[in-house]
Formats: sequence, structure tokens, C-alpha cells
Amino acid sequence: MNAFVAAFWAEALKARRSKITLLTAVGFLLLPFAGGLFMVILKNPAQARAWGLISTKAQLTAGVADWPAFFGMLSLGTAGGGAILFALITAWVFGREFSDHTAKELMALPTPRWVIVAAKFVLTALWILGLTLLIFVVGLGIGTAVDIPGWSAELAATSFWTMLLTALLTFMLMPFVALFASAGRGYLPPLGWAILSLAFAQIASVLGWGDWFPWAVPVQVSGMVKSHADQVGLHSYLLVLGAFFGGVAATMAWWRSADQTR
Amino acid sequence: MNFAIETQGLSKYYRQVRAVDAVSLRVHRGEIYGFIGLNGAGKTTTIRALLGMIRPSAGSVQVLGQAVGPNGRGPWRRVGHLVEAPAAYPELTVRENLEIARRLHDVPDKNATLRVIERLGLAAYADRRAGVLSTGNLQRLGLARALLHEPELLILDEPANGLDPAGVVEIRELLASLAHEKGVTVFMSSHILTEVDRLATRIGVIHKGRLIEEFDAEKLATLRSHRLEIKVRQLAAAQNTLAQAGFAVKLNASMLVLTEARAIDAPEEVAALLVNAGTPPSRLAVEQEDLEGYFLRLTGEKV
Repeated sequence: MNAFVAAFWAEALKARRSKITLLTAVGFLLLPFAGGLFMVILKNPAQARAWGLISTKAQLTAGVADWPAFFGMLSLGTAGGGAILFALITAWVFGREFSDHTAKELMALPTPRWVIVAAKFVLTALWILGLTLLIFVVGLGIGTAVDIPGWSAELAATSFWTMLLTALLTFMLMPFVALFASAGRGYLPPLGWAILSLAFAQIASVLGWGDWFPWAVPVQVSGMVKSHADQVGLHSYLLVLGAFFGGVAATMAWWRSADQTR
Repeated sequence: MNFAIETQGLSKYYRQVRAVDAVSLRVHRGEIYGFIGLNGAGKTTTIRALLGMIRPSAGSVQVLGQAVGPNGRGPWRRVGHLVEAPAAYPELTVRENLEIARRLHDVPDKNATLRVIERLGLAAYADRRAGVLSTGNLQRLGLARALLHEPELLILDEPANGLDPAGVVEIRELLASLAHEKGVTVFMSSHILTEVDRLATRIGVIHKGRLIEEFDAEKLATLRSHRLEIKVRQLAAAQNTLAQAGFAVKLNASMLVLTEARAIDAPEEVAALLVNAGTPPSRLAVEQEDLEGYFLRLTGEKV
């Protein structure tokens, strides 16, 4: 336990001192602010039409200006935007050790390598949880300020849990990003993987096989794609769970056994 | 016998390239072992294998009596290391970088960080971000991390890299005192041969992946070649005189060089010969080959 506490302390310090913490928070906050902007546009269609393209886009995405639509946008953004933003966080947490050539300082230590990897995953999970809570709370404030209709405590609670579940499922797909950051020794391979998996998720969803493709499951669970949400079942969660454990095991195996030449 | 480091037929191949080829090393406890070789000779690969950072293609590694293996297995609580260029988290201060090392090495004494900062002369930079440190101070930070947990064995790759001349002397004295006063074993690779010459008690030469020579530093004097160097104003006449006396004379720049034992053992006779011939030497000295010269001769490399 001491070893884990030490490793986690080190990871947390690195994250606290880095600008990327603030950048990811600012990046993710665009989501509730953009959602709020769409709500403002949708509340005033006459004005929105005068704005032209922006209004058309807003209507395509949300349709009506109310709390269900606003929460839906936040959930979908957590799944879609999160797939890239969370991948960026994971790529940084793991890939920086290779980019900064500090991985070699983590190899011959009394603290086992798997403990360091576990600490990195826990930090990533907490980071993602923090960002999700942040945009939910800020979203509540923006929604209230914009004064959109359709609020209910029950809706807020359901949306909160949907967002958390979406964020959890998106996080569970991050170990493969960690693996690519480690084996690829940097940032580009994991980000390439994140973009590629998102593209495949789109294709799987369009073909109607999204519930069988782990990387498509968070978007479907986010509830925005109503026609597909019903398809998600136990098999989908088990596949995401499999991808999580497979990714964690592969990342740990790589840190344990691969040649560290940087 | 319990060695600080023992490798048996250690080999590492990268496809067709034999980075390290059947290296069998034995480093005694308390020894300062200088591991010398050209760039790409296999020094760093050997060091990485000693630290369990790469899997040997063949052979075995034991460090402080414990097998080094997969999953980072090894006596790392008792080993300090510096591999290649020192690296640090650039956004963290010197103190924070060392604090991370202290915790990951499970050193309970919180003052250990402060002590090593002072020992390595980093007090003035303790709260400076590592990203803005000079190469020399980054090297000091790397050495501080290696020494933080007061290890029994130090495995150092080019410890004098980037240090200024005063820093080189300081680190040399620090390593020597650790070895002599605390019995710390030091395994250091270097291409600065004068440093190895001054510090090491035993020297290993690696060339093209193979350990081609190992010797005690004390024996180096007997292994080195000697020569008699003669400076004279009338070079051609003096060369002629010596040749007529049966010496094999080599002309090296503006100097005559004799390598035969009878010249080296009795330089006064050579001097008398030249004086009698009316070509007195302006300088006559028996010179000993330095480690650099011996190394180049051994590896067959030309300057």
C-alpha cells in the first residue's frame, strides 16, 4: 500500500504541476458553454435564423431548447469529446515518461512497475471523474442562467448517472491508449489510435453493430442516439469490461517485460 | 564468492546487430570498476541489462547476489543508477524531482532529500524547475537521485558528462570517498579515459560488444608501452647516428622515438652517443603510454 501511495503521490504531483490539467479543464468546459450557446440560439429562432449557419447546426444537433436536450448534449459530448480528451490525458500520463526520457528512472526501483502503472490508471480515472463532475456542475449553472424549460430533479439525477456511466465506459477504453503511449513511446501513436477507434465506432454504429463494438458503446449509452440505445445490453458492457482488463493487462505486461531503451 | 555484479555470457542482439556479445563481468564489492569503450561499443546496453531494463538475449545477470529478471526484479533498494543523459520532470523543481525519487525508493527519512541536495551542491537550485537547469546541474540532479537512498552499489553511465572541470574533480572525489570510506561499489562507464585512469581500481574494455580486456588499474603501468622521446636540433644527423648504433628510430613530428628496451632502460647511453656525435639532445625523456593510448592500441582504433 505504501508503494502505491508513493507512486500515486508522484503521479498527482506531476499532473498538478503541468499546464495540461488546466488545458483539459478549459477544453472540456467548452462543452457546457457550447451547449448553452445552442440553447440560447434555439430559444430565439427568429434571431437564430438571422445568424444563418449557426442556427441550422444548432437545430440539427439539439432540436429544442430544454433541459433534456441540454443534458443530452452534455452526455454525448462526454462520450464523443471525451474519447479524444480522455485519450489526450491518458497519452500524457503514460507517454510523457518516454517523451521526457524519465521512463528509465521508473524501472529499477523498489516500487514495482505494475504499481506505477496502476497509479497512473487511478490518476487518469480520477482526472476524468473530476472533469465530468466539473462540466455537470458548470452545465447546471449555464442551464439555469439560460433559463431553459423542462427541469426536474429526477431528470437531473438520471442525466447525472448517464453522464457518469458514459464517462466510466469511455475511461474503460483508455488502457489501450495507455498501451499505445507506452509501446509507441510518446504521444502520436495513442492519439492516432484514439482517432482511429472513434472512426471505427462511427462505422460500427452506422452498420448497426455498435452494441458489439466496445468503442461505440459509450456514445450509444449517452442516450443521444435513441434508436441505438436500446440495443446496448449486458453483452456490450461485458465487451467494454473485456477491453478494459485486456488493455490494463497488456499495458502492465509491456511495462514488465519490454526492453526499455529510452 | 559474492560479487557486487556478475554476468555470465551476457548477450543482447537486435536482429543482426550484436550490441553485447557474451560479456562475463565480475565486479568485486568495494571496487571502482571503470567500463570503457567507444560510442556504440555496448556500454549502455550492458548497463541497461544490469538494471533489468532490457531482457538479455542470452546469459544471466546477478547484482548484489540477486538475479536480475523480468518484472523489474532486483535489489534496487540497494542500487543507485544513472543511465545515459540524466532526465527529470521539467515542470518540477529539483527538490520535487528528488522527493519523488525518495518516496519511490521508500526512504522514510524526509531529510534525505535535503542532505543529497547539499551534498551535490544543488542548494542554490533546489527550488528551480528542472527544465531550466544547465546540463551540468541536470547531471548533478541525476547523481543526487542515484545517491539519495545511500546505495551499496552505484551503476553510473558517464557520470562526468556535462560537468565543468571543477565539477568533474568534485564528483571524482565524492565517488572515491564513497568507495574508500563507505565501501560503496562503483561501476562506471566512461569515454573520458583520464577520469577512469584516476579513479578506477579495475578497468574493463568493451569493443564491438565484446569484453576484450580486464585488468587491475595497478597493472596498467606494466601493460602500457614506454618510449624514449628525443628532441634534437639536427634531426637528420641524430637519426643517422642512432641508426648506425643499431637503434630502430622512428620519426614522429619533430621528434625521434625509440621503443627498444635498451634505449628505455639506459637513456643516458643514448644521450652520450648523441653528444659524442655532435648532435646533443635538447630534450630526452622516457614517456609512458596513457590509458587513452593503451585503449586505442588495444581496440586497433586510430586517432
